[in-house]
Amino acid sequence: MPGPLGYCVWLICTLLEGAVVVCAIRTQSLRRYIFLNLYMALLFLVDVGRYQVLSHYGMTSNEYIYFYYYSDTLLTIGLYFALLNLYSLVFDEMKVERYLRLGAILLLGGTAWFSYAVVQQSSHRILSHFGYELSQNLYFVGLVLTYALWGAILKLRETRARLVQLVLALGVYFSAFAANYALQNLYRGAAVLHYVTPLLGCILPAAWAYCFLRVSEETRLTPSRLAAVPR
Amino acid sequence: MSRRLTVVLLTMLVLAGAMGLKTVVALHGNGAVVMANGGAPQPPIPWK
Repeated sequence: MPGPLGYCVWLICTLLEGAVVVCAIRTQSLRRYIFLNLYMALLFLVDVGRYQVLSHYGMTSNEYIYFYYYSDTLLTIGLYFALLNLYSLVFDEMKVERYLRLGAILLLGGTAWFSYAVVQQSSHRILSHFGYELSQNLYFVGLVLTYALWGAILKLRETRARLVQLVLALGVYFSAFAANYALQNLYRGAAVLHYVTPLLGCILPAAWAYCFLRVSEETRLTPSRLAAVPR
Repeated sequence: MSRRLTVVLLTMLVLAGAMGLKTVVALHGNGAVVMANGGAPQPPIPWK
């Protein structure tokens, strides 16, 4: 069972997830960023559900383990759609929504097929292992897609500050998990690392809540090439 | 038609890149969970 610090981090994280949706509603950005907000709302509900299951059945119970990993798969799919929401906003002027949808379906289907192929060979508990494998594979797909989107933003010289900050926050979030995984492998059994993973979960809701609250939709970044005009 | 093929090609590139990256990471890792959504404590993985 987590200690007081673990519960505290969990509570802060859950409150931040709720704050994202509240800030989006307050700044009338709910519909524009619908999948981002759906993901955060789902995350909030799942965290509440996880607390209920944990307090009733305990950390090592099958109920908590299966609820945790099944909900994690659902959430990672939600995060994938949130990322696609950002893609459609970045490319909205190019009228390529049809192709984005095609690519998204193909990529999700391909990842599910790859996960199933791996699980089929190595496990007798196919369904639960498949969920876990799909979740982990989608994380890597999300990581690659986020860096690709950042490359597109740089190439297109995107100036919408809110959109840029939302994508950057997602990039930091994915990268932080990659760094955390590397540290876990370097320093196995380090007690401090038990608190790092839940703390990383707070990065995305904190950054998105700040972004919805402080950065308006009309704010534009000044491109450096215009800021320094040679005479 | 060529646009659709480009989409298929890009999708396959992303998928191959991501799965390649995952395979490399899993090969050198200790089997821990790479990513977790939310701040809930992680239970042990039952099928490892």
